Amino acid sequence: MEEKTIQRRDFLKLLAFGSVVAGGLRLTHLTSASETGGSSPYRWVMVIDQDKCTGCGHCTLACRAHNDVTPEISWNRVLNAGKVGDQQVYLPRPCMHCEEAPCVDACMVGASYHRADGIVMMDYDKCIGCRYCEVACPYGARAFNWESFTGPNPAVPEWGQPEVPRRPRGVVEKCSFCYQRIDRGLKLGLKPGVDEEATPACVVACPMDARKFGDLNDPESEVSILIKDNSYFQLREDLGTSPRVYYLPPREEVTT
Amino acid sequence: MITIKRFTVQPVHLWIALLLLVLAVGAVAYGIVLVKGLSVTNLSDLVPWGLWITIDLSAIALSAGAFTLCAVVYLLGLKQYEPVARTATFVGLIGYSMALLTLLLDIGRPDRFWHAIVYWNTHSLLWEVSMCLTLYLCVLLLETAPLIGRTEWMQTRFPWISNKMMSIHHMAPFLALLGLGLSMLHQSSLGATYGVLKARPIWYKPGLSVLFMFSAMIGGPALTILITKVSGRLSPRAKVDDSLLEKITLFIGWALVGYFYFRFWDVFSVTYTYEPGRSEALSMMTSGPLAFNFLVGEMLLGAIIPAILLLVPRFRKSWIAQVVALTLVVGGVVAYRWDVNMSGLLVILTYLPQEITTIYTTYFPSTIEILSGLGVVAYGALAITLGVRYLNLIDHRGIEKEVAESPVIIAGTD
Repeated sequence: MEEKTIQRRDFLKLLAFGSVVAGGLRLTHLTSASETGGSSPYRWVMVIDQDKCTGCGHCTLACRAHNDVTPEISWNRVLNAGKVGDQQVYLPRPCMHCEEAPCVDACMVGASYHRADGIVMMDYDKCIGCRYCEVACPYGARAFNWESFTGPNPAVPEWGQPEVPRRPRGVVEKCSFCYQRIDRGLKLGLKPGVDEEATPACVVACPMDARKFGDLNDPESEVSILIKDNSYFQLREDLGTSPRVYYLPPREEVTT
Repeated sequence: MITIKRFTVQPVHLWIALLLLVLAVGAVAYGIVLVKGLSVTNLSDLVPWGLWITIDLSAIALSAGAFTLCAVVYLLGLKQYEPVARTATFVGLIGYSMALLTLLLDIGRPDRFWHAIVYWNTHSLLWEVSMCLTLYLCVLLLETAPLIGRTEWMQTRFPWISNKMMSIHHMAPFLALLGLGLSMLHQSSLGATYGVLKARPIWYKPGLSVLFMFSAMIGGPALTILITKVSGRLSPRAKVDDSLLEKITLFIGWALVGYFYFRFWDVFSVTYTYEPGRSEALSMMTSGPLAFNFLVGEMLLGAIIPAILLLVPRFRKSWIAQVVALTLVVGGVVAYRWDVNMSGLLVILTYLPQEITTIYTTYFPSTIEILSGLGVVAYGALAITLGVRYLNLIDHRGIEKEVAESPVIIAGTD
C-alpha cells in the first residue's frame, strides 16, 4: 500500500513536469515587426534593377566561388521572367531574408534564425536535415545537400576564393547575403554596399551594376535613395513575409 | 532422459520467416541510405518529403488506438475495454517506434536526431511534435511495462523488476490522461505542420489539424481491432471476446460517417474561387495523378464501403466483412496522409511578379525508399506477431486483476 502512494506521488511529479512543458508551449506566434533578437544599427537590404540585368549569370558564379557552393546548387538563381516590350527580362533570386521568415518559424531546432541585422542565417552545426524549411519557403531559396561536395570547385579561382567552410552532406543551405564579407568589412571600418570587400559577392560581380546593397537605416545609402525615388516591388508581397530584396521593374521609357 | 520434440512447420512460422526476409532486405536498404545519404532516394528540393513521411504520419495515426481506447477505459470508466486498450497500447508503442525509425531514415543528419530534443524553437510545429513524441513514447513504455513484467519469463528470471513493472499498472489512469493530452497535441500538430504553411495554398487551412486528429481516432482503433480479430482466428494464443469488439466497430463505423462529412466540407470549400496553386492541387486530386488515390482509395474504399460494412447489421455478423472493412479503414488513413503530403508538394507556385503560375512536378519513390519502408513495416508486423505469441497481448478473459496483484515468488523463501 505504501509503495503505491509513493509511486503516485512520483507520478504526480511527472504530471507536474508534463504540465510545465505544456505551459511552455509557446506555439502561439504573435507576429510583430521587431521580430529579431538583439539590436543592430543596420538593416541590410538588396535592390535589384531588372532594367539593367542581362541574365549573364555572373552573380551565380561569383556566389558559388565565394561561398564554396557545389555546382548542383544555386544560392542565387537567375530566372527568365518573360518580356516587357522587346526587352527580355530576368529575375535574379537570392534568399529574400524575409522579415517574417517562414523558414525561421518552421525550423524545429532553430538552425534557421534571424541575426539582429535581419539576415536569415543558417547554423549548419544545428541543422538535422528535416527539410521542413524547404517546404515552408515560398521562394525556393533553399537547397538540400543530397550528396557531399568533394573535389575542386569549378568556379574557383576564376570567380573568386571560398570565404566560408563547405557544408556537409545532409543539411539545408542558402544565401547568407555574404555575412562573412559584411562582418569582416565592418571590423575593418569599411562600408558594406560601398566598399567592395564588405559587399556581397554577387553585387560586386554584376557587370551591369544591376545589384545594390546597403543599409536601409541610413537614409543616405544608395539603397535607401533608390527605394525612395523609384517604384519597386517585392516577391509575393501577398504572403506578408516582407522580403529584404527589392526589385526595380523594367522601365519601358528607358529602353525605347 | 532427453526427449527431442519434433519441430513441425506451422503457417505462423512461414509468416515470421517472410517478415524476417523483408526485414533483412529492408535493413540492407536502410544501411545503404545511412551510408550513401539521401541521394539514393527520388526526393528532391521540390519534393523533399515522400514515401517515408507518409509511413511516418500513418504509423503515428494508426497508433492512436492507444490513447483513444485508454481514454475510453480510464476517463469514461468503461473498464470492460481494458484488455482491448492493453492491445492498443502495445500496437501504439510499436507504431511510434516505427515512426521514429522512419524519421531517422528521413533526416539528412541521423547522427543529430537528439538536436530535436536539445535545441528548441518553440514556434515550430515540428518542435512541438518531436517533444510530444518523445514524452508520449515514455508514457507508452510505462503503459506497456506491466504487459512485459507479467510474462512468466520476467517473473521467474527477474522477480523484483517484474514486480516493479507490474505495479506501474496502478498509474494507468494518470498515464491515460497524460497520454491523451500529448497525443491530441501532436496528432493535430502533424496536420498543422502542413496547415500553417501559407506558401502552399492547398494546405493553408485550419481543417488539417482537425482531420488529422479525427482520422487518427478512427484508424488507430481500427488497426487494433483488425489485429485482434485476425489473431483471434489464426492464433490459439489470442483469446478474443467478439462481443467486446462489437461496440468499438460500431463506433468506428459511425465515426467514419462523421469523418466523411468533415472531409466533404474540407474539399468542397476549396472548390470556391480560383486561387493559384490551391485549385490546381484540387484538380490533381479529382482528375489528375492523385485522383484514383483520393476518389477510390480515400473516399470509396477508405470511407464509404467500410462505413457500410461496419454499420449494416447483415455485414456486422460476418468476420470476413469486418476484417475487410477494418483493413480498408487503415488503408484510407494512409491514403489521406499520402494525398495531403503530395497535393501540396507536386504543385509548385512560381513567384514571378504579376504572373503567379503553377507548374507540376512528379514523384515516385525509389526502390531503396520502398524496400527500407517495407522493412520498417515488416518490423512492426513482426513485433506485433511476437507480441501476440509471447506477451499474451490479446486476452479478453479478464485474468488481469489476479496476475497484477499476485504475490511475487522471491527466490530463497519457501
